[in-house]
Amino acid sequence: MLPDASHPVWEQIATGKKPLESRRPTVNLLIHSNKMSYEKDQSLPNVRHLAEKTHSFFSHYEALFPPEVAQILR
Amino acid sequence: MPAAISNSLQTIPEVQAAIAAGEPLFLAGSRSALSQLPRGNWVGGTISYFMADEGGLRAEDRIFVTPIPSFAFHTRAEDYGPEDLARIYRDAPVHGFTFLVLPAGTQVHRLFAQQAPLFEGFLLRPVVGWVTGVPVDRIGLDVPAVFNGRTGAVLEDRCAALHVALPPTKMADLDTVNIFESAGGEVIRFSEIGFRVSQCRVGGKQANLADYISEQGISTEIPLIGDYSGSSINVSIQKVDPAAHTVDLYAPVFPGVDYRFAKPIMDYEEAFTRQIDAQDAEPYFACNCILNYRYGHLEGKKTGNITGPITFGEIAHQLLNQTMVRLYLRDIG
Repeated sequence: MLPDASHPVWEQIATGKKPLESRRPTVNLLIHSNKMSYEKDQSLPNVRHLAEKTHSFFSHYEALFPPEVAQILR
Repeated sequence: MPAAISNSLQTIPEVQAAIAAGEPLFLAGSRSALSQLPRGNWVGGTISYFMADEGGLRAEDRIFVTPIPSFAFHTRAEDYGPEDLARIYRDAPVHGFTFLVLPAGTQVHRLFAQQAPLFEGFLLRPVVGWVTGVPVDRIGLDVPAVFNGRTGAVLEDRCAALHVALPPTKMADLDTVNIFESAGGEVIRFSEIGFRVSQCRVGGKQANLADYISEQGISTEIPLIGDYSGSSINVSIQKVDPAAHTVDLYAPVFPGVDYRFAKPIMDYEEAFTRQIDAQDAEPYFACNCILNYRYGHLEGKKTGNITGPITFGEIAHQLLNQTMVRLYLRDIG
């Protein structure tokens, strides 16, 4: 079961402080998109937006990416 | 119950019959072949090259058919222009995927390539498909097109989409097969998004890409590989103009991405087969790039067990080059 959207792990992933290793292009495109956005705008509202986006992504794709979900839960 | 028509290269009468029977279809074929189809719940794009069961081939009188599975909740054909391209993601089902065909060299093609990652719904609403083209010996003479079978429109400046809603027990999963790997040379970076580039930074120093390619003797068959946080995204070279010091690309480069040139591939057939044999599942849909077909001399050869259209650009969420794209419909229930 994934942590809810307010859990700090989503901000950590969104800002790259908790790196996720993945071989899946769909996941890496999200990580790359977060990285680009965070480099441009490190404000709290943007970090929150990226965290929510990351939570939505993994909530949607939880069944497809078990290795990545395991890293989130670790 | 499976769809009545199979996922393969079919004759025009076979496709006509499937449309008449009400089957929703995603189609690839020549303009002449697609023009002979009746209206129905289908979209298609112009292409004359295919990876068929018998190997790579060119065909003007057959159509590659991807039937929509009968477990899909519903499908709907739509078309979009530059002014409403972002609507693709609003029209896409919350749970499902969208097949998309973009006519090569158009504004809608360029806009999708440059802006798709910025659209609301990118990644969460999977978009898979390809860029339409013409026979290589007709480039500049014929015009790539897409077809919206629902309206009967043949479109040269809009893209066509088939939105497919899936039941909760199924999920669309996009994957790529990229036979190229970085040659490990100097990092190349760009400051602007663009299909035509001149200035860049090579190893941190200001440089001109056209000059760099000439000086290093880099083949234009070799793509640039962008590092997207661990996934490799190719950008292929269309033309180097030494006089103008410009390089035209088949997909845009983006700021913030580290690019390197790829290692050359000696045997494309072997490279694809090696990567595909390592996978156990057969995709629901796949396409591969015309540059791999041409540079790899894939006519009459196979790429593992993968069949599908050979295209002028591939889409797996965003525009790709020199890449095989695969769509899986996974059981998650």
